[in-house]
Amino acid sequence: MLTLTVDSALMNISEPESTSATIEQPASTQGATQQEDSVDLLPKTDVADVDVANETADARRARFERDALQYVDQLYSAAMRMARNPSDAQDLVQEAYTKAFSAFHQYKPGTNLKAWLYRILTNTYINLYRKRQREPLQSNSDSIEDWQLARAESHTSAGLRSAEADALDHLPDSDVKNALQSIPEEFRLAVYFADVEGFAYKEISEIMNTPIGTVMSRLHRGRKLLRDMLADYAVERGYAKSAAAKPTETEK
Amino acid sequence: MGDCQSLGDCDDKRIGRIYEYLDGALSCQDLADIKAHLDDCPDCTQEYDLECVIRSVVKRSCKEAAPATLKAAILARLHEGRPAEV
Repeated sequence: MLTLTVDSALMNISEPESTSATIEQPASTQGATQQEDSVDLLPKTDVADVDVANETADARRARFERDALQYVDQLYSAAMRMARNPSDAQDLVQEAYTKAFSAFHQYKPGTNLKAWLYRILTNTYINLYRKRQREPLQSNSDSIEDWQLARAESHTSAGLRSAEADALDHLPDSDVKNALQSIPEEFRLAVYFADVEGFAYKEISEIMNTPIGTVMSRLHRGRKLLRDMLADYAVERGYAKSAAAKPTETEK
Repeated sequence: MGDCQSLGDCDDKRIGRIYEYLDGALSCQDLADIKAHLDDCPDCTQEYDLECVIRSVVKRSCKEAAPATLKAAILARLHEGRPAEV
């Protein structure tokens, strides 16, 4: 039941008014952290005073190119966490951009274009994946999660304490990606949206179409699982036991 | 060692507070409380540091540049002018 289930009826890009109107920084954001960055990163180009109703098709396309295409790298990085291989990730991003463009007249200028695009990407992924697989995402998600969580509880963060934060810094990117990939999808995406993109809880809840409470619990559990996996990789690479010793030729 | 009770009565809650702190999701009062607590609690500071490292490592590892062919393909489809198949 933790599976990412979003009905196409909830896909909601046909009603982006509600989407764009509700995606915004929460009033409670006091962020000494990423939230401030994301405010700074809001595109200066996506301004509110566009007359969408009377815009010509060419003007709309130009506006889309100017405002939306700057996120290709970011959406591709996210798609790689969803689709797992470059070819599928490219298809996914291409499809998301196509959908976004066809719905762009419904996007309210000056709101949160990046979150809007991420929402379309996420929905596109869910729909494409379902179409291809004809089965729910991670049908065994619950059982995987159970044993992973049980395991994470059993060594809490002790494994990482001994690994030491420094040791994690030495992990090759491939290990970190694999660790992320190994946690259940709905947790992985929540962690990705928060930690990599710096989205606020409310934005993530809009993107994933889940209540904020669910976002918070996915983040909490996902981060715990991620810690545990990273600790395993650190131990495997010999960083944890001998954190003081220099790691040798372990990079792939 | 600081009074961890101020963050929550178990490890799980304390870590949750640290997540919220890093997520920028705390109220002003909670923010002040946790800052004060971190100042004099080595255990929670260690959790905090660890979480910071995890985030920076994840961020670093997940940066990918889209292939130039993808950008070109997106542009090409935009200019085909045909509506998206939904």
